[in-house]
Amino acid sequence: MSPPPIPSRWKALLLRHESILLLVLILECMYFSSVGRRFASADNASDILRHSVEIGLIALVLTPIILTGGIDLSLGSLLGLCAVVFGTLWRDAGLSIELAALCTLGVGGLAGALNAGLIAGLKLPPLIVTLGTYSLFRGLAEAMTRGVDTFTHFPESFLFIGQESVLGIPAQAPLFVLVALAVWLLVHRTTFGRALQAIGFSPEGARYAGIPVSRRIAAVYIMAGVVAALAALTYTARLGQAKADAGTGYELLAITAVVLGGTSIFGGKGSVPGTLLGVATLAVLSNGLVHARQPREVAGMLTGALLLLALSSSVLPKMFAAWRARRHTQRSAIDPAITEDT
Amino acid sequence: MKTILLFLLTASLSLASGCNRSSGPAAGAERVTIALMPKSKGNAYFISCRTGAERAARELGADLIFDGPTDPDPARQNEIVENWITLGVDAIAVACENKEGISTALRKAQARGIKVLTYDSDAASDARSFFVNQASPVGIAHTLMDEAARLCNSEGEFAIITASLTAANMNEWQKHIEARRATSYPNMKMVALRPCDDLKDRAQSEATQLLAAHPNLKLIMAICSPAVPGAAEAVKQAGKAGRVQVIGLGLPSENRRYVKEGVTESVILWKTEDLGYLTIQAAHALATGKLTPGMSTFKAGALGEFEIQGDEILLGKPFIFNKENIDQFDF
Repeated sequence: MSPPPIPSRWKALLLRHESILLLVLILECMYFSSVGRRFASADNASDILRHSVEIGLIALVLTPIILTGGIDLSLGSLLGLCAVVFGTLWRDAGLSIELAALCTLGVGGLAGALNAGLIAGLKLPPLIVTLGTYSLFRGLAEAMTRGVDTFTHFPESFLFIGQESVLGIPAQAPLFVLVALAVWLLVHRTTFGRALQAIGFSPEGARYAGIPVSRRIAAVYIMAGVVAALAALTYTARLGQAKADAGTGYELLAITAVVLGGTSIFGGKGSVPGTLLGVATLAVLSNGLVHARQPREVAGMLTGALLLLALSSSVLPKMFAAWRARRHTQRSAIDPAITEDT
Repeated sequence: MKTILLFLLTASLSLASGCNRSSGPAAGAERVTIALMPKSKGNAYFISCRTGAERAARELGADLIFDGPTDPDPARQNEIVENWITLGVDAIAVACENKEGISTALRKAQARGIKVLTYDSDAASDARSFFVNQASPVGIAHTLMDEAARLCNSEGEFAIITASLTAANMNEWQKHIEARRATSYPNMKMVALRPCDDLKDRAQSEATQLLAAHPNLKLIMAICSPAVPGAAEAVKQAGKAGRVQVIGLGLPSENRRYVKEGVTESVILWKTEDLGYLTIQAAHALATGKLTPGMSTFKAGALGEFEIQGDEILLGKPFIFNKENIDQFDF
């Protein structure tokens, strides 16, 4: 009996989830360039990047959380709360922009710590805890502003971060790259990242292996809080306004990007480059449809279809290989001659 | 693996940026492209605006893009405007959801030489050239009072139901209603002014009390939209349909039933189709240089002349929806 043929290195590379996603992204770009006159322009690349920074930031910090088998639904609401806190500190408390920004990051960290305490400390399920804080944070933001108060007229120097470009690159892009690099290093190049993966596979196993599970889990939720606050700052600078409805629905878009990027919702498996590709695929889709002059509702349908396709495309080749192997053994069992041939 | 990924990424990026140089500003493209944004896309009010906008675009031979948010993300209007800037449209017309937020993107569009106007709800005045104003307070007030007088033969008692006694726009309307009454219809008398907190059932109970307290009441005027069906329901339940008239400011769809039953005589609003039509006509004229700041009138195709006050183009007198025409409108 000969073993089933070993897939070549080339084939393994092609079948990797990220490669398939990259292919989808390239196909998207090729299609939209062919139908949209200005799609393939530096201006548009800058638009896409600018519009995906906040969702990108949330998706980045959500990756380690999902890697541990957790979830955080509160990040979009936290973005709204932080935007309002920032506005209040600056306009009403009279703090300087820098100090207000710093305090906002602190508030983000505290909010993350609340999630962390309930999830890692009290061992409550992350889905339920963050569903609670999802309502709590948005509710706080609305209560602080009675839902209508809007903070505007921020100084030019602050708006620069959100609206201007340096050498054709959006001003908030370096910030995004920095966070992306940090999360990538943390997840893929440190023992911390390996610990997260181990926790995702089996929290009990990780505990027996001597990993401080609670502390690791707490750390990723706190980190997510701080980065959500950072996203609130770039969001406020981009729109020039801070209002309680900021970031509505961002958590779901971010989760979609992370899962599209190949991170398993059950934990244990995930990749930061995959998440970035997921964010890019969704952002290009949403932007490209405007250039193709297609109605926006198509974006929703295609996002859903893309997610399902990406999920099944990473499973189908394995199932196909398993099916072929099974057929091979069956055939060789019936007719020994085949075994001799192959 | 990673190097290949990186290579592909840079290759596709350089390919993308290479393409863009060849396709600069479209040379000799004479068709004007106008982008029109509603507050939200599924809203029947804006779908009706779109019908008028498409008619105007057809008549002008312009390209119309109609797109707007389909999700609750307040940043979405900005993102779409920014995409339109990159797309290189000639004019942008927006019904603004967030006054300050959208102004950021609209100023950017203006800086890139795109003509910007707003309709339905305005942005900051420095972020657009014109605001197509669907209704001036005087226009609304006079139409309401004239219609009331017509139904009462210019004499008798009437009552007003408003949203709240502090709502700025309603106080403004009511001031003009009173002025019109005093000068044109001195034999009419306003016997009560009641707030309903913008709630239909509150309006209904207020109207019921009014009917009991003022037996000679000839007409109820509801100046906030939930109050129109609310007052109609009260009159209907009191069995006074036909003896006490109901008129008001509201959506035809919310009042169709009462209008057909003969409880509500007329519903007053503007023709949303005309709003869309005028907006596109103005956007086209602005983009082709035919409409410039400082003009006092503007001729909008089939609809004729419109008055301009400062930087606001006025849609003019509101439209009266009644039993004869209400079925033609579905918003």
